[in-house]
Amino acid sequence: MAAKKASPDLLNSSFSFKSLKLKTKQQELLLRVSILGLVYVLAFIARLFSVLRYESMIHEFDPYFNYRTTLFLTEKGFYEFWNWFDSESWYPLGRIIGGTLYPGLMVTAALIYWTLRFLRFFVHIREVCVLTAPFFASNTTLVAYFFGKEIWDTGAGLVAAALIAICPGYISRSVAGSYDNEAVAIFALLLTFYLFVKAVKTGSLSWALGSAFGYFYMVSAWGGYVFIINLVPLYVLVLLITGRYSMRLYVAYNCMYILGMLLAMQIRFVGFQHVQSGEHMAAMGVFLLMQVFYFLDWVKHQLNDTKLFQTFLRITVTSAILVGGIALGVGTASGYISPWTGRFYSLLDPTYAKDHIPIIASVSEHQPTAWSSFMFDYHILLFLFPAGLYFCFKRLSDATIFIVMYGLTSLYFAGVMVRLILVATPAVCLISAIAVSATVKNLTSLLRTKQKVPQTGSTKGVGSSKSSSKVTLDQSQPFHKNGAIALLVGVFYLLSRYAIHCTWVTSEAYSSPSIVLAARGAHGNRIIFDDYREAYYWLRQNTPTDAKVMSWWDYGYQITAMGNRTVIVDNNTWNNTHIATVGRAMSSYEDEAYDIMRSLDVNYVLVVFGGVTGYSSDDINKFLWMVRIGGGVYPVIKEPDYLVNGEFRVDKGASPKMLNCLMYKLCYYRFGELVTEYGKPTGYDRARGVEIGNKDIKLEHLEEAYTTSNWIVRVYRVKPPTNML
Amino acid sequence: MTMAINKKLLSLLLLVSSLSSIASASFSDPDSDSDLTNELASLRSNSESGVIHLDDHGISKFLISSPTPRPYSILLFFDATQLHSKTELRLQELRREFGLVSATFLANNNGSDLNKLFFCEIEFSRSQSSFQRFGVNALPHIRLVTGSTAKLSDESGQMDQSDFARLAESMAEFVEQRTKLTVGPIQRPPFLSKAQISVIVAMIVIATPFVIKRILRGETLLHDHRLWLSGAIFIYFFSVAGTMHNIIRKMPMFLQDRNDPNKLVFFYQGSGMQLGAEGFAVGFLYTVVGLLLAFVTNVLVRVRNLNVQRLVMLVALVVSSWAVKQVVYLDNWKTGYGIHPYWPSSWQ
Repeated sequence: MAAKKASPDLLNSSFSFKSLKLKTKQQELLLRVSILGLVYVLAFIARLFSVLRYESMIHEFDPYFNYRTTLFLTEKGFYEFWNWFDSESWYPLGRIIGGTLYPGLMVTAALIYWTLRFLRFFVHIREVCVLTAPFFASNTTLVAYFFGKEIWDTGAGLVAAALIAICPGYISRSVAGSYDNEAVAIFALLLTFYLFVKAVKTGSLSWALGSAFGYFYMVSAWGGYVFIINLVPLYVLVLLITGRYSMRLYVAYNCMYILGMLLAMQIRFVGFQHVQSGEHMAAMGVFLLMQVFYFLDWVKHQLNDTKLFQTFLRITVTSAILVGGIALGVGTASGYISPWTGRFYSLLDPTYAKDHIPIIASVSEHQPTAWSSFMFDYHILLFLFPAGLYFCFKRLSDATIFIVMYGLTSLYFAGVMVRLILVATPAVCLISAIAVSATVKNLTSLLRTKQKVPQTGSTKGVGSSKSSSKVTLDQSQPFHKNGAIALLVGVFYLLSRYAIHCTWVTSEAYSSPSIVLAARGAHGNRIIFDDYREAYYWLRQNTPTDAKVMSWWDYGYQITAMGNRTVIVDNNTWNNTHIATVGRAMSSYEDEAYDIMRSLDVNYVLVVFGGVTGYSSDDINKFLWMVRIGGGVYPVIKEPDYLVNGEFRVDKGASPKMLNCLMYKLCYYRFGELVTEYGKPTGYDRARGVEIGNKDIKLEHLEEAYTTSNWIVRVYRVKPPTNML
Repeated sequence: MTMAINKKLLSLLLLVSSLSSIASASFSDPDSDSDLTNELASLRSNSESGVIHLDDHGISKFLISSPTPRPYSILLFFDATQLHSKTELRLQELRREFGLVSATFLANNNGSDLNKLFFCEIEFSRSQSSFQRFGVNALPHIRLVTGSTAKLSDESGQMDQSDFARLAESMAEFVEQRTKLTVGPIQRPPFLSKAQISVIVAMIVIATPFVIKRILRGETLLHDHRLWLSGAIFIYFFSVAGTMHNIIRKMPMFLQDRNDPNKLVFFYQGSGMQLGAEGFAVGFLYTVVGLLLAFVTNVLVRVRNLNVQRLVMLVALVVSSWAVKQVVYLDNWKTGYGIHPYWPSSWQ
């Protein structure tokens, strides 16, 4: 946005400040830098609601694993971390941590920690972990600024930075405490794209090199790098088809692909997948196609005869496609190229996961997106997006083609899975920013022309805007002024609504740690349920150090990180059979479950129960997924056994199998004696709003060890087998 | 609906089923066995994909009056034409899959095994009393009547919900488990027939040189901005309208109000769920506002006629503000959130 030009009278009147007065360009720079600085700070502080409201702590489930590994990294050093075999999870299998994680996040946090220590700031590693996500969100706004500047102009860059700083779609995964891979990955993703677009624009090796390193950082941080390695080739392909092939593109793509591939293969979790798995084949195919294009260009240069060239072209293109097809076919058939993974396939054919992979379909963030979620996470950006698309098409360049493709593909994926809204957020912000910036620029330049016309009689001021400047008819000016003011007011009203929406959503919806629960009491006061940590610290203090705890996989990471005890399964769902075994134990009768638990050396069983507090995401509500996942491997577990006429019930009408399975018994043990709500019978389940069906529960092989103050977590001890003598 | 009728006739059912079991136990004759088998086989050869259409008469002939143990089993699909409109029951889809299993069974078996299992269907409106006899009061329902099944109301042969969850494949597994016969891998008809494929391939081959020529000249549809733009807008609309949600969850366009069947429910309250028409309506509102903005700032300014300009501008402003208001209102209603600004606490 251009700064105001100082008028001559003003200069004269404030003569004493003349020496301090900045030139227009300097003024603009100052404005821009200060706006960016403010946005940078804003992005950080908007994410601190959770720290202010609760305390500085790690949120949710996966972040606890990341925290635990980061702690290990800072204590034991990088090589120990890299070769770490973790025997505390997936008992008795264990897990090779170094080879099965993306280390980018942990290494980043450790580097920040070591830097701070070096500068003599003695912070705790937990604080670093908690604040990593907001810090990287701030950095993302900077990248968004440069990206916006690259594809449109500085105005669009500034607007994009401001929009992305508070966009709920991004905040949802980057509030203080959500120490997860996405926290740094979105920064890396946008950086890679920015550098690649820059490389295509300039054709310079150094930008391409930069984008290769950006890609490396992304690969080290998140599995979502697959999106980059498919979007970039797709983009190159579109440029090739639409006849935008250039030497710049050749340099940028080849350098980025080859270097990026070599670097990515250094990450153990990726390794040779990068050249062998089906998801990465598109990139390789486009790479080969690039060489064909280059070769053709060279031959065309050598041959001056067009007819000869046409024939040559036909032969080359046909044979290239043939060879490529045969190579792919042979590779797939011989097993050298692995087929697509289920997760990837479920993006292209969204109904796939539901039918074939219950463990993916069961996760709430893998659900398809309804329109209200889009509205919640994007608000007015959704209205601005089509306008932005229109502007991009009006001014097509290599850069705008990229942002349009990025926006559309990611928006499609966001429709398939709720969590992918995150990936689409930067693109939506950038495209909407183009709409806002271009509109505001057009309108303000119109307004300013009017003011100047009577004074100077020149129309120089409109030079910047392209389309609107064509109308400089005198009689249309009164309309333009009114209309422009009305439109401007409308736009600023919308933007202010956006700010209000984002603040509210951040504060109310996205800042709860989910490990500490909050509810409103009868008098509007805030009640805190800290049962999870209570239970985990109990485990840590009161159980033998080699005790094995069985729980549903959601709580695995938290138990190992906070309770410091060995678990059977955790959130890294790499072994479906093992999870199904736990699911089977939970859905069997107690004596059958006891055999399974004995075979897994289980000492304690932990269940999460919301019947007293009305907490709805407890194990009873997750129970059908345990049955489904268990039944997927062990056909003795059948879902209809737990349903009555296709309905899941826990009251008197529940199926007998349901009323006597281990999960039911552990959740509702002694619950029949309890009055939870005034005016209701004993054993009234507040999460499901029914009186339970089995109030007289006797446990034979297990005994209650600990129940937290609000009954949310219940821990049971598995009794040793009775003495044979 | 079926349930209501069934309850009325429950007493009749008990009577009939007890009578039928007495009747079936009374005589047994090997000659009539093979006659029945042959008749079934000939019926099968006349029917599409080998699914025999039975009615009350057929049921009593092949299942009730025939003595146990019968030399054949019958897998029976219960259909009701009047319920085809209820898409959530998936009757037509299941019936198609049932036909596939039958066709596969026919293709993979010959000789003696072929006549051990017959695939049949009965339709509710024409065979109500048979539905009563089987005690079927909810659809979809598939029942295996083995040779030794004496009482038709015996529900042990019922195929569970989970057995047709994976359609034909899981139905086949069920049949193989229960009858010890092999069905074999399901042979689905290819998406395109061979003739169609060859025509398409021929067309592609013929078109290729022309396409290459035009690509080289740079004048294909691919070079048309407007096409790309409308494609882009379409993808945008497709995504934000939650169409993927509708496809994956198989959501209907609208629901019938439970209290008042004449009233249709177009909007579902509760976030994370939506109905088909709801998504399209909101997606349309999103798109309209965005396109109007682009139109006003890019196209309208070129219009020379002042009055037209004013009018269109006014309309655009009114429509956009109405659409935004509507979406925000709907969102607040649907999610139940009351979004409000935070004022400094000293102001209150």
